[in-house]
Amino acid sequence: MTGVMNPPQPARAESVPPTQFADASMLEGKVPASVKASRTTAGFALALGLLYLFLSYRPLWHTDLWGHLAYGRLIVGMKSLPTTEPLMPLARGVPFINSAWLSQVIGFEAMNRLGVTSLMFLYASSITGMAGLLVWRGYHRSQSAMITLVGLFLWLWGCWQHLKIVRPQMAGILCFVLLLTLLTARHRRTWHWIAVPALFVAWANLHGSFVVGLMLLAGMAFGRGLELAVRCGEVRAIWRDSRVRRYVLMLELAAAAVLLNPYGVRLYAEVFSVANHPNVAELTEWGPLQLRMAQGQATAVIALLLIVLYRLSPRRVTAAEVLLLFGFGAAALWSSRMLVWWVPIAVTFGMQHAGAIWHQWHSYSKTLLPAPRHGRWSVITVGILWICFAFTPFGGRVLHGTEGKLKLEKMVSRETPLGVIDHLKTQADQNRLPHGQMFNTYEWGDYLLWAGPKRLKVFLASHVHLVPREVWNDYVAISNVASGWEEILDRYGVNLIVLDLATHSPLIGRLRDNENWRQTYSDNVGAVFVRRKAI
Amino acid sequence: MKLRRIPALLFLILQIPIVAAFAWSYTSLSPESQRQVRRLVVAKPQGVEIPLERDAALEIAPLYDDPQLVSDQELAAVLKQIVPRFPAKKLKPNHVEHALRAWHVEAKFQDPEALSGEMMRDFLIDYRRFAASWQPETDSEIQPDPLLQEHPDNGVYVKWGRESNAASVHHDHLLACLTEAGLPLSQPVFTPNRQGLTFRDVLRQALRDFRYDERETEWSVMAFGLWLAPVTKSWRLTDGREMSFDMLAQRLLRGHKKIGSCGGTHRLYSLTVLLRLDEQYDILSDDVQKSVFQHLETVRDILKVSQFEDGHWPYNWSAGEDAVKKSDASIPIFRHVIATGHHLEWLSIAPESLHPPREQLRKAAAWVIERTVAMSETEMLDNYTFFSHVGNSLAMWRKTTPSKFWMEWEKMHPFEPKPKPITEPKPTVNVTPGKPGLSTEKH
Repeated sequence: MTGVMNPPQPARAESVPPTQFADASMLEGKVPASVKASRTTAGFALALGLLYLFLSYRPLWHTDLWGHLAYGRLIVGMKSLPTTEPLMPLARGVPFINSAWLSQVIGFEAMNRLGVTSLMFLYASSITGMAGLLVWRGYHRSQSAMITLVGLFLWLWGCWQHLKIVRPQMAGILCFVLLLTLLTARHRRTWHWIAVPALFVAWANLHGSFVVGLMLLAGMAFGRGLELAVRCGEVRAIWRDSRVRRYVLMLELAAAAVLLNPYGVRLYAEVFSVANHPNVAELTEWGPLQLRMAQGQATAVIALLLIVLYRLSPRRVTAAEVLLLFGFGAAALWSSRMLVWWVPIAVTFGMQHAGAIWHQWHSYSKTLLPAPRHGRWSVITVGILWICFAFTPFGGRVLHGTEGKLKLEKMVSRETPLGVIDHLKTQADQNRLPHGQMFNTYEWGDYLLWAGPKRLKVFLASHVHLVPREVWNDYVAISNVASGWEEILDRYGVNLIVLDLATHSPLIGRLRDNENWRQTYSDNVGAVFVRRKAI
Repeated sequence: MKLRRIPALLFLILQIPIVAAFAWSYTSLSPESQRQVRRLVVAKPQGVEIPLERDAALEIAPLYDDPQLVSDQELAAVLKQIVPRFPAKKLKPNHVEHALRAWHVEAKFQDPEALSGEMMRDFLIDYRRFAASWQPETDSEIQPDPLLQEHPDNGVYVKWGRESNAASVHHDHLLACLTEAGLPLSQPVFTPNRQGLTFRDVLRQALRDFRYDERETEWSVMAFGLWLAPVTKSWRLTDGREMSFDMLAQRLLRGHKKIGSCGGTHRLYSLTVLLRLDEQYDILSDDVQKSVFQHLETVRDILKVSQFEDGHWPYNWSAGEDAVKKSDASIPIFRHVIATGHHLEWLSIAPESLHPPREQLRKAAAWVIERTVAMSETEMLDNYTFFSHVGNSLAMWRKTTPSKFWMEWEKMHPFEPKPKPITEPKPTVNVTPGKPGLSTEKH
């Protein structure tokens, strides 16, 4: 017997019959039905992805954002909320109810930990989130991609003036659109009882616009009640109606949920007093809506379309719709800033009616079939979203850990006073920055608070409701080079003036000709002046 | 359990925790926050009640008795000029306020034409007396606008502004004058319709309507200092703004030194009042006290170099050396009287380390005495307000008050009535630079 043993043979690939490939039909079946997407979903993902991509490259606006970051920095540093205005020396002692404290902290922490691109991400993702919700609700109710995309475009057009400014109001609009999406759902869900109050807890801490959400709920409740009263001819019908009770109770729960904020019920008082503040009333964006404004023209188009849609629509028009459209519409006419709340309502209802008209017209010729869902469309949708995320500055930051080649100049708006800040910092480093009060362009106050030298005494910033009335009037008088403007500068002991060219060129001209002032810096966005003989 | 349908009973029961949540939230607020919420609910401002525990205001005593700066005879000559002899009709509150501030309530004069301290007080706080002076002779039915006006919040508002001679000129000037004149808070005041009001209600209203950024805060600051210190060191304004003596001092420090009434000199007086109160009651933080002191030191240094050879400080004293080198001849002399008299006034209550050399002060006093004594009766009436400060400041430099000094003086030098002129002399009107003249300026 030979003791020769055959060495063990490795398993050979050839042992698998070459003809046994994976069964494609089996693979296809593995994708759970709940995550299968349709071609339409992928289309919407592409539209929203492109919107996100576009917004991610939008420069950060030079106004409010930076002031909010400065407050966020202060809150994080102090680990508490200031009770009086802490940043503008001329508003010292003025009570400060910070209705946007959470947005400010989130914004500052994002900026602090992840850099400027994180702000671009927050901006782009919040608007894309709103758009996504509108698309979701619009498509759900209209079953038409075209109508949904038109609605999305109209919403963007109508709100664009407000959407381009990065500020906590973004969080407020997102909450509003989410609430609108929940309230216009075809079916009432039990989890709404948790979701709506929870939404209001977050909203009350993110931005003072939660009141608009309460108005939306109140409009729904009142509309439903009115409808019943008219239809049944008796008020008792309202009391018996479960939907009225649901809306009223939800409104009450939401109103109570708002109390979960650092200021409790006082937050209500603050929100109403800010809205009625005379300084705020003088700002353009709080002024009445006019047709010569781009947003006024957009509103006119949307309103005309709504008239046509309501004329043709086979859907029953609810009293709540009418109340909300007219109520928020009147508010938007009164103050253009209210437009951001009217447009989503108008677009949402408009899409519903447009869908109804569309299906009425096509009901005889086409049978409506839902778009087929398939696993590959899910993969394509995820792929689109991933690509759109990866090619943004923040995507680069997450994937590569760096800010990339994008410079700060490209990430902020052209009007941001970067050169002015560099100049002021240089002056401060050389101990040549004049002491005492500074006079500055209102629009730049926030950036000066955020990026300027520490001992800069900013005259005012975008939190104008905190600025004493007399200070505001004096600001306006100086800005308009009104009679006695030099004396007003003397009264405040102003030794340093920082102005933008866009809104203050007459004053810049007067200062250049004035022997008491010396220009120490100028570029294509602004100029800096120093008093020759400091007060 | 699905909550898509809400039973009526459940709906009603749920109202309890919701209302309780609001009640709990309200009760857990600070008093100030509760006030702000009430303001929203009732849609009207909610006044802040600041404890006013004292009936008499604090006093800032003069520090120096320098007969070399002003002798008894000189002081008497100056005070004689500012004895309050005003026409009975259309009596200007501004004049009476200045006179009462200088002479105080206890003042009595042998001159039967002069108004006693009590008469001046009553003119300012009693509508009947005020109306008697301002009622049109042609129509006794017309009731003149009151100087003290009833406010819906039980306060008494003082009509002020430059539009009318029947009003106080500066905000809270009347309050400050009555305070310095020694009026207690329990002193009844009389408005046209309401009864039971006191000077306390005037002060309360002033505390309510004070605006930190209004143009002139000198008189409000002084009055608040003399009434609130040391019990109340911080409080809130009607709009909720936090206030403290530190903030009031910083408000007075704000801006160019020339800014403010009377060439910025009232700011200096009020700052010195705060400094003196701080010395006694520690009402300022160390940093702010230091800033005030440094500011007044700077003023002292400016005064050292801005005095003219003849002893006066010019109205544009804040320009320092330039005020002398580039003398502005267009400034009427009464304005220099304002500056010199007012500087002497705040310096009389300021610590010596804030004084320019005493020789300079004596020169200034000599100049202003000479100017005052040279005034005719008509000129004095037109410029009374400025000269009342001169009289007051010179009395303070003798560590006394005009009324105390004058009443003693009149014991030794009884009043002699002037022989009545046959014809009324024509008033001299002269506003040319460099000479004493009448001013149309309200002070």
